[in-house]
Parts: sequence; C-alpha cells; structure tokens
Amino acid sequence: MTGGPGTGPDPKLIGDCVHCGFCLPTCPTYVLWGEEMDSPRGRIHLMGQHVEGTPITPEMAGHFDACLGCMACVTACPSGVRYDRLIEQTRVAVEREHERDPQERAVRGLVFSLFPYPSRLRLLRPGTGLARQMAGFLGRAHPSLGAMAALAPRVPRRQRLPRLVRARGERRAVVGMLTGCVQREFFPQVNAATARVLALEGCDVVIPRQGCCGALSVHSGREDQARRLARRTVRTFERAGVDTVVVNAAGCGSSMKEYADLLGKRPVFRVVDLSEFLAELGPAAERHPLPMTVAYHDACHLAHAQGVRAQPRALLGAIPGLELREVPESAICCGSAGTYNIFQPEAARDLGDRKAAAVAATGAELLVSANPGCTMQISAAMRRAGREIRVAHVAEVLDASLRGVSLGRDA
Amino acid sequence: MLDSLTAALRELLPHDAVITDPVRLRTYECDGLTYHRATPGVVVLPESAEQIAGVVRLCNETGVPFVARGSGTGLSGGALPREDGVLIVTSKMRRILEIDLPNRRAVVEPGVTNLAITEAVRDQGFYYAPDPSSQQVCSIGGNVAENSGGAHCLKHGFTVNHVEACEVVTPDGDIVVLDRMDPGYDLLGAFVGSEGTLGVATKVTVRLTRVPEAVTTVLAAYGTIEQGGEAVSAIIAAGIVPAAIEMMDALSIEAAEAAVRCAYPSGAGAVLIVELDGPRAEVARQFARLLEICSGAFELRVADDPAERAAIWKGRKSAFAAVGRISPAYIVQDGVVPRTSLPQVLAAIDGLSREHGIRVANVFHAGDGNLHPLVLFDDAEPGAGERAEAVSGAILDLCIRHGGSITGEHGVGVDKAKHMPRMFSADDLDTMQLVRCAFDPRGLSNPGKVFPTPRLCGEVPGVRRGVHPLVESGKAEQF
Amino acid sequence: MASRDVLAATGVALRGPGPGDLVGGVTPGVVALPESVEEIAAVLRACAGAGLAVVPAGGGTKLHWGAPPERCDVLLDLCCLNRVLEHAAGDLVVRVQAGVTVDALAATLGGKGQELALDVPFDSGATVGGTLAVGAAGPRSFRYGAARDLLIGVTVVLADGTVAKSGGKVVKNVAGYDLGKLFTGSYGTLGVIAEAAFRLHPLPARRRWLTAELAAGEVTGGLVAALAASQAEPSAVEVDRPAGGRVALAALVEGEAAEERALAVRDLLPGTADGEVGDTAPAWWGLLPGERVLVEARFPPASTAAVLAAAEEAGFALRGSPVSGRTWLTARDSGERELREAVTRLRGRVEGEGGRVTVPASPYEGVDRWGRVGALPLMRRVKERFDPGRVMSPGRFVGGI
Repeated sequence: MTGGPGTGPDPKLIGDCVHCGFCLPTCPTYVLWGEEMDSPRGRIHLMGQHVEGTPITPEMAGHFDACLGCMACVTACPSGVRYDRLIEQTRVAVEREHERDPQERAVRGLVFSLFPYPSRLRLLRPGTGLARQMAGFLGRAHPSLGAMAALAPRVPRRQRLPRLVRARGERRAVVGMLTGCVQREFFPQVNAATARVLALEGCDVVIPRQGCCGALSVHSGREDQARRLARRTVRTFERAGVDTVVVNAAGCGSSMKEYADLLGKRPVFRVVDLSEFLAELGPAAERHPLPMTVAYHDACHLAHAQGVRAQPRALLGAIPGLELREVPESAICCGSAGTYNIFQPEAARDLGDRKAAAVAATGAELLVSANPGCTMQISAAMRRAGREIRVAHVAEVLDASLRGVSLGRDA
Repeated sequence: MLDSLTAALRELLPHDAVITDPVRLRTYECDGLTYHRATPGVVVLPESAEQIAGVVRLCNETGVPFVARGSGTGLSGGALPREDGVLIVTSKMRRILEIDLPNRRAVVEPGVTNLAITEAVRDQGFYYAPDPSSQQVCSIGGNVAENSGGAHCLKHGFTVNHVEACEVVTPDGDIVVLDRMDPGYDLLGAFVGSEGTLGVATKVTVRLTRVPEAVTTVLAAYGTIEQGGEAVSAIIAAGIVPAAIEMMDALSIEAAEAAVRCAYPSGAGAVLIVELDGPRAEVARQFARLLEICSGAFELRVADDPAERAAIWKGRKSAFAAVGRISPAYIVQDGVVPRTSLPQVLAAIDGLSREHGIRVANVFHAGDGNLHPLVLFDDAEPGAGERAEAVSGAILDLCIRHGGSITGEHGVGVDKAKHMPRMFSADDLDTMQLVRCAFDPRGLSNPGKVFPTPRLCGEVPGVRRGVHPLVESGKAEQF
Repeated sequence: MASRDVLAATGVALRGPGPGDLVGGVTPGVVALPESVEEIAAVLRACAGAGLAVVPAGGGTKLHWGAPPERCDVLLDLCCLNRVLEHAAGDLVVRVQAGVTVDALAATLGGKGQELALDVPFDSGATVGGTLAVGAAGPRSFRYGAARDLLIGVTVVLADGTVAKSGGKVVKNVAGYDLGKLFTGSYGTLGVIAEAAFRLHPLPARRRWLTAELAAGEVTGGLVAALAASQAEPSAVEVDRPAGGRVALAALVEGEAAEERALAVRDLLPGTADGEVGDTAPAWWGLLPGERVLVEARFPPASTAAVLAAAEEAGFALRGSPVSGRTWLTARDSGERELREAVTRLRGRVEGEGGRVTVPASPYEGVDRWGRVGALPLMRRVKERFDPGRVMSPGRFVGGI
C-alpha cells in the first residue's frame, strides 16, 4: 500500500534490507557520486532514521528527491526488498512533511499541473507559439524548465487514432491500448505504429478516449492526484470491455501494473507491455528484412519495474537482417526517469552523457527503446556530444518490418 | 580534537568531500555486518592518494583514529567506524588506470569493484580470478584488506596470490609502494589481509588471468549430506582439482528455491556443484572421471554454456540472502575445517542445532572446508537470539578443535576479535602485533579490529596482557 | 669460547664449526643442533641474553647467499628437525619441521601421489626452512605460485625465544596477520622458521616438455605474452642462454592430456624453432646457472627481449622464466671491478624496464647486492620490532638489515 495520511515508509519493508550493498553498482546516483546517502542502501537507512523519529531534514529530502525511481536496485536485490514501494511511501512523507523553498514549489506545481494533462502539454510542443514565447523565459526563470523545453522533440503531424482498429486476417485477440500523455503528444507515430503492429498480428485494438494513467504523480509522491487519475483510467478501460490493456510506454505500464496497490482493488483487465504481449502471442505476420544495426536500450520502467528484458530483444532479433547490439552498462538509468530531468537537471544531464557514450560505443545506426522519456533524453545527450543517432520505438521497428517499408525519416 | 581536525579537513578537501551532517553520517554507521554500529565522527570522500595521505597526516597530528571503507560490504565489521575518528571512504576512487595485457596486469584505484576489472578485460579473453560472492559491488581496496577469496579460490587462489603491487598510505601518512618485485621483506604479503590495520591501499596492481579454454559445471544431487561429502573426498582422492566444489544442504536448498526458484532436484538432501576449468582436453578427461565418481548421485545435471551454468549457480549464489525468506533473522557464520573433517563437523553442527532448538542451514565451499553455516532464529522470540549466538560460537569452537580457522574469508574485523585468543596464543598475537607496531606505532589505523586487546607499542612483548589502564579509563587511545 | 659457554647451559647439542659452516666466509663461533622447537627457543633466549649473533642454517646450500653477517657467534643448524609432522593426504596439506630436506619431503608425498609444487633450484640437501628463508622460485612458480603462495602456516622462533605461529593447516584462512609471508625470503633476519605447513597438489598423470632453439631476436614480448596466456596452460616456460648465442626454450605441460597440449604450445613458436615434445626435461631445467656469482633479474614479462639483450651486453649467461619475468644470471668470475660494472650496467637497463636486479651470490662486497629497495624505512622498522638487539643474521639483508 502506498499508505494513507500519517504513514511513512513501512518499517517491515525497511527491515528486509540486510545491508549487503548489492544495489550500489546499479544505482545511477551512486554511480555518479559514490556516496552512501545517494544509494538505495543509504536511502533505506535514511528512511529507517525517519521512521525512528528523525524529522525529514532538507538533506534527507534532497537524497530522496535525487532517486530516479529507476528500480534497478529492485532487480539487483537478492533479499527481495521492495524499494519501489518504500520510495513511493517516502515521497508521500516528503511531500507532506517537507517544506520546499518557494521556487522549487513553483516549478513542481507547474510540472504537475502540466504533464498529466495532454491538452495542456500540447501547448509546450516545439513549433507552437507558446513554446517559442516561453523557451527563453523558462530558461531564465528556472534552468530545470529550460531543460524540459530543450528535451522536447520535433513532432510530426498529429495523427488521430480511430476508436477501433480491426485485426488484419484472422482475429487472435481483442486488446485495449493506452495512448499515454507524452507518447500521444510528442510521439504520435509510435502509437500509430503500435496499433498497426497489433492489428497486423491479428488483434482488434480498442482505443477509448483517455487521460493520464497517473504514473508521473505516483512517482513523485502526489498520491491523491495519482489515485484520481488511476480510477479514471480504470473506468475508461472497464467501460471499453477489454480484458487486456497493451501499453507501449514503460513508465505508464509499470504504474498500471501496480493499480491494485494504489487503489486497493484489482482492475478487471490485465496490463501488459507491448513486447511482452507480442512475445506471448507469438508471430503471425511475415517479417520483412531490415538490414541495420540496432542498439536496444533497457528502459528502467520496463527492465527493472516490469522485468521485461528478453522479449523486446527477441522481437528485434527475429527481424531478418537486423543486427542487435548490447549497450554497455545497460542496467544503468539514462537519467530521464519521468520528471527527473526536470527536477534534477544536472544529474540527469550527467547520466544522459554517460548513456550517450555507452550507446555511441556500440556503433549502432539506430537506438531503440520502449519509453518516450528515455528516447528524448538519450537523443538530446547524443546531439550534445555531436553523435546524433536515429531513435525509434520497438513498435516502429516492428511496424516497418511487418509492412516491408524502411523506417521513416523521423524514426 | 575532532572539531579542529574537521576544520583542517575542509581546507584540505573539496567542500562535498567532508561529511559532518549527522543524518548523512549515520548512513555510514555499519558495513555489511549490521550487528555492530557506530556513527563516524566525520566522513571524507577523497579522490587521490595525496588527499588520503593528507587526511592521515592530519589524523596523526591530532591523534585521531581513522578507518578505511570501500563499498561497505564486509561481513566482519572490518569497516566499522569510530565515533571519535575519521572514516575514509574510497568510493570516489574508481578509475581503472591501466590495462597491460602483454604483462597480464591492471592498475586500478581502490574503489574499483572486483567485477569491473573482469568486465574491462573480458572481451580480450582475460579476467580477474578472485570472485567473492559480492564481486559486483565489493571494492578491490576492500578485497586487499580482507584477502578475499570466493568460490573459485580452491584452484585459483586468493587476493594475495593475484596482487602484484599496492601503493599504500602508511599509518603515519607516507605514500609507499609495496611491490612483489622489490627485494626485501614481503611487506605486500603482510599488508594484504591485514584488514586496514597497516594502512590504506590507494592503488592496486592486479594480475589478470586468461579465460580458460573450457568450463564444465556439474550439479549432483544426493539423498544425504554424508553422500555428498563422500563424493567430495573421492574427487580430491582422484587427483582432480576442480575450480570450485560447493555444497548446499536441504534447508539452504529450500531457501534458494523460495527466493529464486532455482529448481534444484526435489528431495535432495544435498546438492554438490563441481566446476572444472582449464584446457579442453583436460576438462573432458576430468569430466569423464567426475561422472564416474558422482555415479551415486540420484540426479546429475551438466552445464556447458554460460546460460546453463548461470542456472546451476543461481541457487548457490542467492543462498545467503535467500535464507531471509525462510527465517526472520539469521547469523552468517564463516569457519574452516580440514576437508576430511567435514562429515564429523557437520554431524556435530546437527547435534548443536537439535540441542539448542535452532535451525542451521549449511552452505559451503566444500573443496577447501570453508563452512558458511546460517544460524536461523526468530528475533521476535525471547532468548532466540542468545541461543543462536551460542550455536554460532560453538561452531567456531568445532572449527578450532578440528584444526581449522575461525574465518576463511570474511575476516576477523570487530566481530571475531574476541575469538582470536581461542585460535592463537598470547605469544602468537603479540608477535603479529610487532608487525602492527612497525607500521602503526600509534595505533591509529583501524584500531579495535583483528586483535582482541589494543596493544601499546612501547611495551615489551609479554609484559602486560589485557587493556592498559589509561585506555580503560578513556584517557588514552593507544600511544 | 664464550658462545659455547653461554649455550652449554641450554643442554642443546653443540659442535665446532667445520668448513661447510662458513656463512658468506664468516666462521661461526659454535654450531648448535637443536632437536625441537623448544630447543631453538632455548638457544635463542640464551643468545639474546648474551648478545650473541645467530644465523639459522638448513642444508647449507646457500650460506654464501646474501651479505656476510656482521657477526656470527652461533650457527643454528636445523638438520635435526627433520620430521614430516603430518601429511593429511585427503586435505592436500603437509606440516613439516624446517630441517626436512626438499628431497625427503618429495619422497614422502610422492608415495601418496602428491607433491609440493615448488621446484627448488638447489642441490639435494636443501631444506624446507632454507628454501623459505631465501624465497627463491623455480620454474613452476608460474602456474602454482612461489613458496609464499604455497605456505599456509608457519611456526617461528623470535630472537628473544618467543615461539609464535600464524596461519594453520587449512588452505583457506584469513585469521590474523600472515607471518609466513613476512618470514619467506627474510634471510633469517627476523627469527627462525621452525615449522611450516603447505598446500599440496596431486602429482600430474603425465609430464611433457616442449624444447626448441630460437634466435635471441625471436624471443619477443609477443611470443612471451602468447605463451603466458596460452589456453594449453603450460606449468612452466623457461629459457636458457649461455652468454650470447641461441636461446634454448623449454615448456613443461602437466596433465592427462599433456602431449596434445604441449603440441598446442609448440604452435605458438615461430616456424623456424623446430620444437620437439618429449618426456624428459632438458639437462639445465630447474638448475641454477652459476654458484659463485649469481644474479637475479625480475621484470615485466613483456620486457624479456630487452632483458636478454641487456644480459648479453653485460656478459651474463641467463636462465629462467620469461613468463614469470624472473631469471637467474651468472658470469665468469673475472674480478670485482668487472662484476660491479656488469651488474650496474644490467641493473640500469632492467630497472629502466620497470624491473629489479639483485645479486644473491657474489664473492665481492663491493657489488651492490640489492639495488633499489622500495619500502626500506618500513622494513627497518619491522626488523627493529622483531629483533631489536640485531642478533638475527645481522647485516645479511637489504639495507644492511
């Protein structure tokens, strides 16, 4: 449970940590700074101090805020410590008990009134008048928001998806599809590709009108907002009458899989990641060759939070002519982590640079990831380093192979 | 004392490298052994040997003790801080400085993790052989301090056999190089495994090993632990030196199954993991003989590729942490007996377990007689902790009685210092202390570890035993 | 005969010095023959009380190594401590008294199909204790490690008669400091090694030697690196080169598949080498190349070619292990000045490669035996703690320790 008012991190979950330190080398902030307080083990220790009665000091809050929530530590932990729960519970306590300075409050307020609302987010897209007007102001007012503006990609023409996309050939399944906020506004072509791939593989795809799933709010300790958004999303898909909801954004998928904990009630549908679902379904459509070298980036919310690592590699590897290359340090977060590159721009930038160097080392032509935030983050870092690389979502690569076309220029 | 030192440290080091905030300091209060805790007086995060030497010199000027810490994964409290001292953390010193494949060596900073060395050279067909089970996180500096081993040290040796040279900050703040190539006393041999009491390693030259041509891993399941033990003896008697021979008993198998679903053969009273490595032709012949020797096993599994091998090792590698799934609390013990005494010792441990009503899961490096009994108890039950402690201590007595050791790889640290007089005489310990006094006459480098009582280096050996009155009264540390 | 009088009270057997008892040319006052650890302690206590200098000795095969002692009142001959205390074959461990000869130990262990994988480069008669005291390494140290790597426990007697042990009789053991390593190679200057425990290895099923002749220019850093990293895993690779001339190279491969592995090693040699695989070692295998003049060079293996060239220039014959970066050198004794200059020239070149040159045996005191010693001040402090009265082999070791 994410806990109601008056609760903090669960002492029993804290007690599961045996202090072995296996999480340290997987933690992005520990990799950057090498300090115990900015490692999962250290943060759990800080949570323990808080539970024992130490108030949340600004230093403590800073170490919790610096956590990317990438959950690499959860994968690495041999004792099964639920750090994911712990940090969420802790963020709630921080939001409740810690008085942030006014500027920080303002930035956070702005972000949380913007991101979970696609219609508002749309205004920030580059090329829109507002974005142009705001860019300079944002950079001056707060470098974090300047960072956000810098990350936003050029967006292809907006595509509206129909409410239902019919299966091609024999129908093998009926699924719902989450369109997401960032995905929908900044990467509409990914959603289009996802729907086509599902249809080509024999699925009826139901795409109801929908809002934010609540992921960003969960990850930032904004519990009430998270619950409200989650309830609405559950209602949307329950009304659509599907028993499976396919998600192509890792951050959304991981949060939706935890709805039972957030809402205290299991939704009637199950949530699966796109590649998880396709691997399970098995291939039906023909794969056309895509002769290119591809580096696959493990999005934290897919690899660590959902344990989906093998499936996307298998899907990509099965495309004729496609050569898959492993990115060194693949378990380390790229620094995007939802809103992290907005609230912690320096650390995010350092991690982005580190990831960009690792991706560049593969020499691959195309970087594939399953999370919009990662794609934005890594391509921005590679542009900074003068090593620009084409990026695409797994869905887009599959879509090109299934349709026998080359990857679009913007991919 | 500490206040003036802290002011001086702030002048010496970058702002972020000196930690004094109490909440932050507490996160350094223990290493991998949480039983002993002490909040350090101040934590420093230096980035060079010169900075460490500067810190140590300041400690000398003020008479303040210091403790070095790498990744904080030790299991004997070797990096337990001093409340009146400085904790020197090497986690920011993690550059691989040089890889010299023609000479099969690498030069690394102390904060580099054990596995990072292997990862840096694996593509070229080399690796760093010592493989403590915490290898993805533990630091080379810590490995040097503890003389770390690992499952494969049966054939390939310990840290001390793979370290060619160390740059060291001595307890009085000098930077010296201890090199195997140098004539004179083997100070490097004495330094490795001295648990931070002879100084701080700031640069380590390690030997790299060629990846073997062939590796074959066999899992053999037996009905009883005795049958497994017999197989181990038969393997050794056949003149085979495997890279590793590991054994787990029924209780530890149960725990591993609960944690990682390792799918070891059900109903096994013991599983044996035997890994052969070396030239392909040699491994093939040894493998054939191994199969004959293990013919009494009720199930045999063989792994030839990395994925199959990982599946076999999965249960073993998770065993320690996995025990948490079948018991609320547990003590990880580390003792050694001559391999041939294993059957008697295991039977005696079983007896202790029954007598005290405390379950003991056995995981061990069977090839070299290194036991890791996991003593399980419920910390909510009154008196259980004490009974577990009693069993744990009695196991060490068993090891000593059979001519073994109180620690095979976890070190003495603060945890077992009190047991040292059971293994060594006062003269043995006083003689070891002569080395300590030569390196660290003021006793400032990680005091309170390894030896049961602090020694005053001005004394004639043997004149006084026990704690010096000045130390006892808190007036003096160890001058 | 003050020494004799002092020791008479201990009841330990004594005898007068013979021609074989000279330590670097110094005749001891008396030779004591203790028969137990307690008797060693009694002798040392008596000597410490009277300020007598003591030099421990085993088979006496390298008493001419190291600098002559400043004084040698008592030679402590350990020949009577010659028992194998315990051979735990199932544990691959042996515990011996220091005076056991290496040959006698090999015979005992061989009976059970085991060996101490330490090829001692001395004549028969070398003892375990003496071998440890000089810490000299043989060909197979490349695969199995040197004496310090095979030693797992030691009992020593200090100058004041204190008997102390460290380690034990189990291979895996990290309790306390490792005094064994400190005493290995200490030339008797810290105390007396009385007992030692070693880890053993099973005798290999087969041994094959690959032998070949190469031009000096063919022994490149690349060849050495390839031999050292070969997955055929030779146990030893040695070269022998008389001053100038061609290089004889030999590699030992041990195991059931020794033959085919030796052939695999041969494939690494240049085509001109004409390597042969057989079951006998070349005549020079494992022997020291010289007696009166003996120099040791240690160096990074990739510098082998430079060391070969430097040896030739300085007029030394060379024998030893390129893969371990450790060779013995010798030269005809043509006078002090010549030797001094040759050592200086060789040392300059080898130190330039990151190596070290020492001179274990030299008939002349004008030759710098040790060259650069890294942590000498720390070594002096260790010596001061262990032997504050400077009675243990005084002056024999680095820096006049």
